[in-house]
Amino acid sequence: MADVVATGIGLVTSLGATADETAAAWRAGGCALRRPLGEFDGTALAGSETAVLPAFDASARLGGRRMLKFMSHAAVLGCMAAREACSQAATRRRFEPGRVGLFCATGLAAAGVQDVAPLIEQSTDEHGRFSCRLLGERGLPATNPLLSFKILANMPPCLVSIQESIKGPNYIFTPWESQSAAALLEAWQAVAEGEVQCAVVGAADSPSNPAAFVFLRQAGLLGADEYPADGAAYVVLESAESAARSGQPVLARVDSVDLRPVSSRPCDPLGNRMGRTFAAAPMIWFALACLGCGATAAVAGSSFVCPDYAAPGSRWELRIEARGAA
Amino acid sequence: MNRVGITGFGVVSPIGVAREAFWQSLADGRGGIGPITRFDCSAFSVRLAGEVKQRAEVPAGDRVDAIDAIDGIDAISATAATAGVAADDPKVGFALAACAEALGQAGIASLTRDTLLHLGVSLEAFDMQKAICGGRPDFRSIAERSMRPGAPPLQIPLDTASRLIARRFGVPGRSLTNCSACAAGAQAIGHAFRCVRAGRCAAAVCGGLDSMINPLGVGGFQMLGALTTDNARGESACRPFDASRSGTVLGEGAAVVVLEPLDAARAAGKRVLAEVCGYGSTLDAWSLSAPDPEGDGAARAMLAALDDAGIRAEQIAHINAHGTATRVNDEVEAAAIRRVFARTWQRIPVSSTKSMTGHLIAAAGAVEVGACLLALVMKQVPPNPFLNSVGQGCELAHVGHAAVPFDGEYVMSNSFGFGGQNVSLVLRRCDG
Repeated sequence: MADVVATGIGLVTSLGATADETAAAWRAGGCALRRPLGEFDGTALAGSETAVLPAFDASARLGGRRMLKFMSHAAVLGCMAAREACSQAATRRRFEPGRVGLFCATGLAAAGVQDVAPLIEQSTDEHGRFSCRLLGERGLPATNPLLSFKILANMPPCLVSIQESIKGPNYIFTPWESQSAAALLEAWQAVAEGEVQCAVVGAADSPSNPAAFVFLRQAGLLGADEYPADGAAYVVLESAESAARSGQPVLARVDSVDLRPVSSRPCDPLGNRMGRTFAAAPMIWFALACLGCGATAAVAGSSFVCPDYAAPGSRWELRIEARGAA
Repeated sequence: MNRVGITGFGVVSPIGVAREAFWQSLADGRGGIGPITRFDCSAFSVRLAGEVKQRAEVPAGDRVDAIDAIDGIDAISATAATAGVAADDPKVGFALAACAEALGQAGIASLTRDTLLHLGVSLEAFDMQKAICGGRPDFRSIAERSMRPGAPPLQIPLDTASRLIARRFGVPGRSLTNCSACAAGAQAIGHAFRCVRAGRCAAAVCGGLDSMINPLGVGGFQMLGALTTDNARGESACRPFDASRSGTVLGEGAAVVVLEPLDAARAAGKRVLAEVCGYGSTLDAWSLSAPDPEGDGAARAMLAALDDAGIRAEQIAHINAHGTATRVNDEVEAAAIRRVFARTWQRIPVSSTKSMTGHLIAAAGAVEVGACLLALVMKQVPPNPFLNSVGQGCELAHVGHAAVPFDGEYVMSNSFGFGGQNVSLVLRRCDG
């Protein structure tokens, strides 16, 4: 088994639009700014808040606007985080694309209201009912033909693969925290066992969009005292030997990644300061651990316990041992 | 490292529910594509699909009513299950039925903590009516309505089938939901194969499920221009590699295989249907909607699977192609096959079973692994019933209109996903 190190980290969170900003805000004890979700005024969800993302210029960070039209909000966040991580690790320069793996998680389907509104409005009959006939006659012609790219769950990671020229083994899991933790475990194992020279591992989620928000509250996954936050994290993992050979600075040594069944209650250690980022949360937590220049405890003081909703009653504790290289 | 055997297979498809019906249709070259009956598509330019016509029996079970109050989502899944979730999201019912059949063949009564459950699925089903209030998409009203006690869930998350399988058949050690589009089912099987081989789990239940035969699914693919509008063709509308091909046709269904360490399965007296021995997974990193024109990603997936299996290209004796019947994809796949199998492609029989099933998207790879598995077991490779004139650039040793006898040892199944995800799997004959 090879020693695994992190050589690139990218973050877009409610605490900062880059890894450095997020880490600095975290260390300083910062909490996300929040704003009310105006869409729910006058309803049972009135007063619900979401975390505010800091301002960013996606086209500048992604080198142009050409691909943005294909991207959902989560895809934009994921591509920005991946660009930051891959640039830092110089993946394009140092690795043959086919030996770079991509291990990702994505959240609930989350097309923006603005994307689907024309389709729905044009497909509603005079009785306020959805009409398949009107969808065919008016709804589809009024809809952005690229809508499917914004809805399909694999698109955000595939956009990362295109943007960063990643051509190796890959997995994309969805839609909750446990799946993100599984992607991280797969990535770490792939590097440790030599299946890939480099693993780009990450997740992006946008649970603050109205449809996702309603569902999360409806399902009891987002408590009344919790608030959602959009976010993304990507980390580049490679072997210590590979980093040393090319003189690549090591950000953290990742001695182990483990998923163990536990009976303790689910725990998102970022939630009360950053908001709940669901599928992105374990990856943000891992990235922060790598940036923490210390033990995992520097990040959260506890492990990340993910409920595995697809296996009722199951919970997985994500444990990592990461040591900052500083 | 364990050798990995398939001990169970279950399928729900447009050409048959359950193994025997599925295989009989494949062998006879009977297509399952016809007019869409699931919704009024009269105003759509696409009016054909491969619908599951036979009722897929979802096994009853007392676990379905259990509610775990801590993981709040379970309350919703229980409600959905008791109300017949298959009505809201047909693919979920397909998955339950396929899983029941596969587990039954493998002689597994329930999933346990040393079992991996890994399913591929593509897109949430979304009831458009739920997004309308007062004649428009008004989230204020939608929120108000959705938060009333007993209101149906606004979304049906992609892991719903896994959750219901766990309720019905027992909780697995780990459950993964793979969303790698058209490669998802094959990738789920490939990952599960790796896990069983490495001894990370004692058994794996894996495959894929999908149904995009709904207004948004058909409409979305219609907008992308991926579906044929040649509605008059009926059953023969999907013609992979044919000169007259004009696009793919959506199908629906699910397929599940049970993987176990081969030696352990044999020691337990189980019949091993075939061995999974190679898996390759790559990315095109080219385009969201079109394959790399050189077929580089597809070729690398095939080569990786061969390398993983430890065999030479010359040992592959049958290929189940991804074969979507879109203009570009088929040409690119054919070119990639010719490149990888440079010395033998002219004598490797190629079947493209989407001609009969339609494109089952996330379930396609799993269904086609099933077709390969049955080709090995039944000693026949399926025909290409609607392939009349091979298109330029699509030259391969395509099987004709009738199934042909087959006694080869290794077969390959290709799955190349929208977005540029490529998967190839190698299966090996395992008589007895």
